[in-house]
Amino acid sequence: MNQSHIRNFCIIAHIDHGKSTLADRLLQITGTISERDMQEQVLDDMELEREKGVTIKASAVRMRYQARDRQTYELNLIDTPGHVDFTYEVSRALAACEGAVLVVDATQGIEAQTLANLYLALDHDLEIVPVVNKIDLPSARPEEVAQEIEDLIGIDAADVLPVSAKEGTGVDTLLEAIVTRVPPPQGDPDAPFRALIFDSHYDAYKGVVVYVRVVDGVLHDREPVRLMATERQVEPLELGFFHPQMTPSDRLETGQVGYIATGLKTIRDARVGDTVTLADAITVSALPGYQPVKPMVFAGLYPTEGEDYNLLKDALEKLQLNDASLIYEPETSQALGFGFRAGFLGLFHMEIIQERLEREYDLDILVTAPSVAYQVKTRDGQVITIDSPAQLPDESTIESIAEPWMRISVYTPTAYIGPVMEMTTKRRAEFDHMEYLDEQRVRLEYRMPLSEMIVDFYDQLKSATRGYASLDYQFDGYREGDLVKLDVLVNGQPVDALSIIVHRDQAYQRGQRLVSKLKKVIPRQLFTVPIQAAVGKRVISRANVKALRKDVLAKCYGGDVTRKRKLLERQKKGKKRMKMVGSVEIPQEAFMSVLKLDE
Amino acid sequence: MPIGLYLHIPFCRVRCTYCDFNTYAGLGRLHGPYADALAQEVRLLASRFPRPVGTLFLGGGTPTVLSIKLLRRVLAACFDTFAVEDDAEITSEANPGTVSLDYLRALRHLGVNRLSLGAQTFDRGELAMLGRVHDAEGVRLTVQRARAAGFDNLNLDLIYGLPGQTLTSWARTLEQAMALTPEHISLYCLTLEEGTPLRDRVLQGRLPAPDPDLAADMYELADDRLAREGYRQYEISNWSRPGYECAHNLVYWRNRPYLGAGAGAHSSIKGQRWWNVRPVQTYIDRVTAGGATPWPSPAAEDGEIIDRALEMGETMMLGLRLTREGVAEADFRRRFGLSLEEAYGDVIRELVNAGLLTWDQTRLRLTRRGRLLGNRVFARFLPC
Ligand SMILES: Nc1nc2c(ncn2[C@@H]2O[C@H](COP(=O)(O)OP(=O)(O)O)[C@@H](O)[C@H]2O)c(=O)[nH]1
Ligand code: SF4
Ligand SMILES: [Mg+2]
Repeated sequence: MNQSHIRNFCIIAHIDHGKSTLADRLLQITGTISERDMQEQVLDDMELEREKGVTIKASAVRMRYQARDRQTYELNLIDTPGHVDFTYEVSRALAACEGAVLVVDATQGIEAQTLANLYLALDHDLEIVPVVNKIDLPSARPEEVAQEIEDLIGIDAADVLPVSAKEGTGVDTLLEAIVTRVPPPQGDPDAPFRALIFDSHYDAYKGVVVYVRVVDGVLHDREPVRLMATERQVEPLELGFFHPQMTPSDRLETGQVGYIATGLKTIRDARVGDTVTLADAITVSALPGYQPVKPMVFAGLYPTEGEDYNLLKDALEKLQLNDASLIYEPETSQALGFGFRAGFLGLFHMEIIQERLEREYDLDILVTAPSVAYQVKTRDGQVITIDSPAQLPDESTIESIAEPWMRISVYTPTAYIGPVMEMTTKRRAEFDHMEYLDEQRVRLEYRMPLSEMIVDFYDQLKSATRGYASLDYQFDGYREGDLVKLDVLVNGQPVDALSIIVHRDQAYQRGQRLVSKLKKVIPRQLFTVPIQAAVGKRVISRANVKALRKDVLAKCYGGDVTRKRKLLERQKKGKKRMKMVGSVEIPQEAFMSVLKLDE
Repeated sequence: MPIGLYLHIPFCRVRCTYCDFNTYAGLGRLHGPYADALAQEVRLLASRFPRPVGTLFLGGGTPTVLSIKLLRRVLAACFDTFAVEDDAEITSEANPGTVSLDYLRALRHLGVNRLSLGAQTFDRGELAMLGRVHDAEGVRLTVQRARAAGFDNLNLDLIYGLPGQTLTSWARTLEQAMALTPEHISLYCLTLEEGTPLRDRVLQGRLPAPDPDLAADMYELADDRLAREGYRQYEISNWSRPGYECAHNLVYWRNRPYLGAGAGAHSSIKGQRWWNVRPVQTYIDRVTAGGATPWPSPAAEDGEIIDRALEMGETMMLGLRLTREGVAEADFRRRFGLSLEEAYGDVIRELVNAGLLTWDQTRLRLTRRGRLLGNRVFARFLPC
């Protein structure tokens, strides 16, 4: 294919604005997929994606399109993940494109991720082809939304394409616009081969399959390649492109998008953002922008039944094959036994992993309260990074603790500015500024500790704004804070899995709430169980779970024996699922209670 | 060894607000057909399990809503087909205020020699809350009539732990019960059973939820008070004058064989336990259907096999309810061929240390505290 006839583009949108639906239409109209094979949201091929309606993994599809100039073009649609947790993956996908179709819902207008993704696209110098979608809906206001877009990026409102992805209206025009407005890939066909990895998946037969955008040169079938960052050298098992199924071909040319089946056994060896070169090319320089995976949120994952440890281990291994951003290592908790400390890109990522473990691997797992990574400076001048309160060294040896802060943008109708201000203030946010998007909507900008965002923040934001607010966030930097470890002692014994790191000003209140919550969820035992929250040696809150006095069936006669025995058996099974801390039985939910401390 | 025979009478005049027994109000037209079906099942059971009967118990429901004629028919079936021992304990439950002196005389005449009266409480407000058909006076009157009819073995059932009940009102109820000098007293802590109106009212917040700690206080108060009055506790919820323990119920707690006839009745014999269908009409239809009669009873709905491990567990779960005799080492060894130590040594030691059991190497029993925490003990002996 002539390089000038290649167009590489992606679709960017706020969630639910119609990205997947539009992709479906493009595939259909270009005949990439037959009517018979058409199922909704073809690119979202993971069960969970379909259900959540969120694209978790990027895909790349090659389409052939005959334009009005009677020429045939090769259009490569690169689908990007739709959630901020995956910003880095999005940025790599964008780096593989020259253009971006910006989809905005004609009934909703611009939202948090519209902007976040747009800015990312502009950072990559992509040609923006704006679209207002869902014009079939009665409540659509395409002109207004087009005007919003003009105000935002200075593209004439008249050039914003009205589309109904659902009904196919305007999609032809959009395809034309992609051909005429998006520039062909640059790249030097005669230079040594270089390609950018923007995604990957694990295939049981072909090993790690990396999705690449060829930047320079040509790769021929069977030529050995090298992954620069991970320094792996392989002889590819297969080259090809997605149509949308994997379709082998004998070469990948400059500007093209396709895949290389590496045969590698772990996705860690083929990192998104890495550069692929020929194995014998020594002088080639790496493409810019590679970043190793940096998880932001950490939590302990424990099997609810101790004997499932190995199953959990296998499941994590398998998940990691397909998800390079998931990291984990074994962890032992006094309270919970053997498990893993896992790192995630964000809360949403954590939720997805948890759900996949439970659903795809049928595992019952207990997830401890999430933590961020703290940088601890010790008195002897060392800086250590910890991602679990349990790893915090003794108070007396700590010089200072720094925590990650985020820049967050909240998009909300003006009516909810008050509630948003209130809830962010409670979470130590620093207000930066406010900007009116139109008369009814504002963007509020804050700086906020990540630790304040990982527990229930999004849900609360949604409920404080009746679901209207949207949120975008990105890492800002580490800042020192007056942070302390809040320990929980049950029956005099510290329960490691319940410790949290909090700001000193909040320790008292959090401690009290935690203690009273635990008092509610820890069932009465045969003896009185004191629950204490402590900072260092100082107890800041306490309560007692009174000893159980009465637990006996009043009656057990001939007609009751089976039923009452079954009742006792159920009780007994319930107790087996509890975790023993010393001689106290603590139900699983207690460990989650840190997550939901009612205001 | 003689067995216990239980006969279920699933009828009541009205249904009490806390009741989840298999009983129905307003089914008067089925009394006759039911009594016939019951007699028929009794005859069948006797032919299949021809064992001497040491105790007989008419329970319900309210057995005394049946006419004497119908009761006679049922009891006659028992006496005709089972070898009922001469000194057999024959109990009938009865509701105060619903039985005349003549009725009680006739009942006594039928061979019934023990009467168990559901007094429940002597507090008017509490009686109303429970939806009982009688008042406190009705209980006194019925006790008098029972004595006059020749019953020298009377039980009163009382309930405590009621919504809104206080220690004082409970103490008053106890005094009034003891003033009637029954030979036997059962004290049941209220269980708010699924689907009962009383439970719904509590869940809706229209009645205060009972406080289990207060119920524990009530239990201990009663225990002290009854002891002073010369009643001996022999089971978690049962007290009697010496020698007046309920022989029929002892069969259950000693995990000995029994047969139950009637709608929803349970039987446990020869390593199997089964229970009959609960609805009255279904029961009648099943028993009176012609053709081959299924084993063990045409009315059986379902059942389970009691293997040795389960039998051991149940023997502990039931036997430990007996507060004085508990589980005797000798009995256990005779029955299962191993000692308690061999079977449960570790569990026993743990529960002894927790102050819930006492063990003098001949008997294993609940402590006073253990009596209120029985579930914690029983569960430990179950095989699951
Ligand atoms: N009426 C209408 N609904 C649409 C249109 N495009 C998408 N939708 C619906 O909007 C919802 C979100 O679409 P989806 O493609 O999953 O959005 P994504 O989250 O951006 O991938 C789905 O229920 C679609 O059926 C459209 O043009 N018209
Ligand atoms: S009298 Fe007894 S069996 Fe009848 S409804 Fe009342 S509690 Fe239930
Ligand atoms: Mg989607």
